[in-house]
Amino acid sequence: MTDGRSRRQVLKAAVAAGGAASLSACLDAIGEESVDRPTGTDDLSTLPNRQFAWDDVVRHDEYGNEQLPRHQILLYLTLERDGQPTDADRRQVERAFGSLNRAFEWSHEGVVWSVAYSPAYFDRYDESLPEDIDCPPPHSLSPFEQPTFDEQDMLVHLASDHADAVIAAEEALRGNRESANGVEFDASLSGVASLASDADRRTGFVGSGMPADRQSDLEGVPDDGPVPDASPLFMGFKAGFAQNQATEDRVTIRSGPFADGTTKHVARIRQRLDDWYGEQNFAERVAEMFSPEHADEGWVEGIGENLGDNSRVDETLDTIREQASESGRVGHAQKAARANRDEDGSVKLLRRHFESTDENVASLHFPSLQREMSSFDAVRAAMNGTDLTEATPVIRQRVNNGILEYIFVANRGNWLVPPLSKRALPRPR
Amino acid sequence: MNRRTLLQAGGALGAAALAGCSNLISTQPAGNPPVIDDRPAAVYYPTHVEGMDMVGMGESGDYRFGLMYSYPHRFWNVTGTETTRTGIGSGDDVHIMASVWDSETMQVLPDTGLSLTIRRDGDIVFEEVVYPMLSQRMGTHYGANAGLDGDGTYEVTVSVGGMSTRRTGAFEGRFGEPASATIEFDYSQGARDGLSRELTPDRAGERAAVDPMDMEMMPTGTAPARDSLPNVRGSATSGDAEFVVGTLDSPPAGIDGSDTYLYVSPRTPYNQMTLPAMTVEAATGGFDGELTRTLDSELGYHYGTVVDSPGDSVTVTPTVPPQTARHEGYETAFLAFDPMEVSL
Repeated sequence: MTDGRSRRQVLKAAVAAGGAASLSACLDAIGEESVDRPTGTDDLSTLPNRQFAWDDVVRHDEYGNEQLPRHQILLYLTLERDGQPTDADRRQVERAFGSLNRAFEWSHEGVVWSVAYSPAYFDRYDESLPEDIDCPPPHSLSPFEQPTFDEQDMLVHLASDHADAVIAAEEALRGNRESANGVEFDASLSGVASLASDADRRTGFVGSGMPADRQSDLEGVPDDGPVPDASPLFMGFKAGFAQNQATEDRVTIRSGPFADGTTKHVARIRQRLDDWYGEQNFAERVAEMFSPEHADEGWVEGIGENLGDNSRVDETLDTIREQASESGRVGHAQKAARANRDEDGSVKLLRRHFESTDENVASLHFPSLQREMSSFDAVRAAMNGTDLTEATPVIRQRVNNGILEYIFVANRGNWLVPPLSKRALPRPR
Repeated sequence: MNRRTLLQAGGALGAAALAGCSNLISTQPAGNPPVIDDRPAAVYYPTHVEGMDMVGMGESGDYRFGLMYSYPHRFWNVTGTETTRTGIGSGDDVHIMASVWDSETMQVLPDTGLSLTIRRDGDIVFEEVVYPMLSQRMGTHYGANAGLDGDGTYEVTVSVGGMSTRRTGAFEGRFGEPASATIEFDYSQGARDGLSRELTPDRAGERAAVDPMDMEMMPTGTAPARDSLPNVRGSATSGDAEFVVGTLDSPPAGIDGSDTYLYVSPRTPYNQMTLPAMTVEAATGGFDGELTRTLDSELGYHYGTVVDSPGDSVTVTPTVPPQTARHEGYETAFLAFDPMEVSL
């Protein structure tokens, strides 16, 4: 297990499979006896109260774009008992979370993570969430989707640059191991919250080289392996340029019991890229991902590295209809951006999506953070481009209409991320 | 195979070219005749006529779905005024076609988004947005060439998007929501190869069309017969399509206003298939602008507007051709139009 290729093969499959055997295989592959990553702290006051404050502790590229941790796990947990959680449940959950903070440094070298709760979870209580919390149950966000709604109770999101770290963190948190990274856990979530089905454990990855590495024999990606080696995402372009992302401040709930929290939408989206790569040339892909103007002006080279920290999409909004009529296409980014700006021009959504090969299908886990969930709904409505289909028949419901032809929404869930101080089974008030 | 490569190859994907595909299991019909060089810029009789078979039907609310299949086909996508040929890929086993219609009026819904997901034992083997297409036998339907995973039983989920096209009359407030139905498909290459397939060298290229198919229970995308439309004022022909023009004293239910309603109902020659997803402009009296794409339970799919003081005649100018893919025999028609004058 020492040559680079087989090591990569093991690491590729490990997070997706999870469990003790994967962890062992993972450690074998990197030539370690046990997980050996930076450990954390038992002083919670040294950690941000904003669970989503990852920006200061993850890598950035040379342009200042946030580089999300390479390996990620989403655990959609269901409470094991009906009704309201007890104070004993809360203490157990907080001890489990505190153990995770002790076990791993709060960074991409250790584990960054968060826990969020669904509107269905808060329905367990007699009182409702405060009026000013905008986080309704999930619903359909386009005229052509019929997703499964994720209404489990809790969403634990683990992320690290190291596969062994996220797998060990998950195993200890779920009670399958007593320690992780050499640190004993005082408690686990077991007995309070668990996975109701295998489909509630979802995994993924993001980063240069990772999609290309995983594209062979993958349902949804053409057999000839078209994903560029450098691309962090299956569709062949960078995304999440710093200037086109909300700041963590902008997505933070400012007051009330959930101050320092945020709302989190997570969609699971299947990608079908045969025609994306097989029927379109590079310029056409640029036109559909960014805008026809990007394609005409040659603004995008390769995966878009040359764009630096700004997709330039704001320059293409005023003439979107003209571009659509003239080129017969409209760009995904330009459509969405129309609804993603405050009056002062600042961006509302902080998107942290990553890729997945769960069930051997090329897919995307799409977490988006925003102060109000309605901001997300509005951006998705703009992305549907229904107004543009009415302007010209060349733009159809899902053809020539950004990337809608190539993505299939399988799941949607809405979540409230409480501040760290209320992260263990919070009450609605 | 990239569709552009095919185009550069001069479009002659005949038996000789196919003989070079040394698949162990040939999934191709025994070579399609090349596309005719001197095709008319109009509807023409294709080089071959292939049979199709009903896979099954499904329903969801008011929606009815029909699923059919045939041999893989070449077809032409349309973007604006450009056509791009899609050839038969080496992995294609079938051309799979879905039709969606209203359970009450049996009218085909021509102008929405549709996707097909084909699973075998729960695993996805095909999932695509399939394009609206025009064929001489079916009119508007939704179709794609698909590769399958050998003989066996497949679950085909047909998913239709809610329509954003204006809906009037008995369609007002309906068909705005998505729906889907799953239809079982027992596929075998043997059964597929048993579908009829006729080469038509004697008629190919003639200005004519293959007769529409006649299937019980399943409508074709035919426009309402001229005689059944209310208050027809006249018609004109351009781009090999016929444009029937009529007026109503007041617009159909679902459209505000009480003035004259002008409607234009375009259709193919010979078979009277609906031509959806166009931009049609009109000028009469004080009105000069785009007509609205509309699906009405009486007028069918048409282009219409309220006009407060129509003149003695109307000028009808299609500016964007039907944005539907074309099966062979339709790919050179309905692409370029001249203004037409019809007396009112």
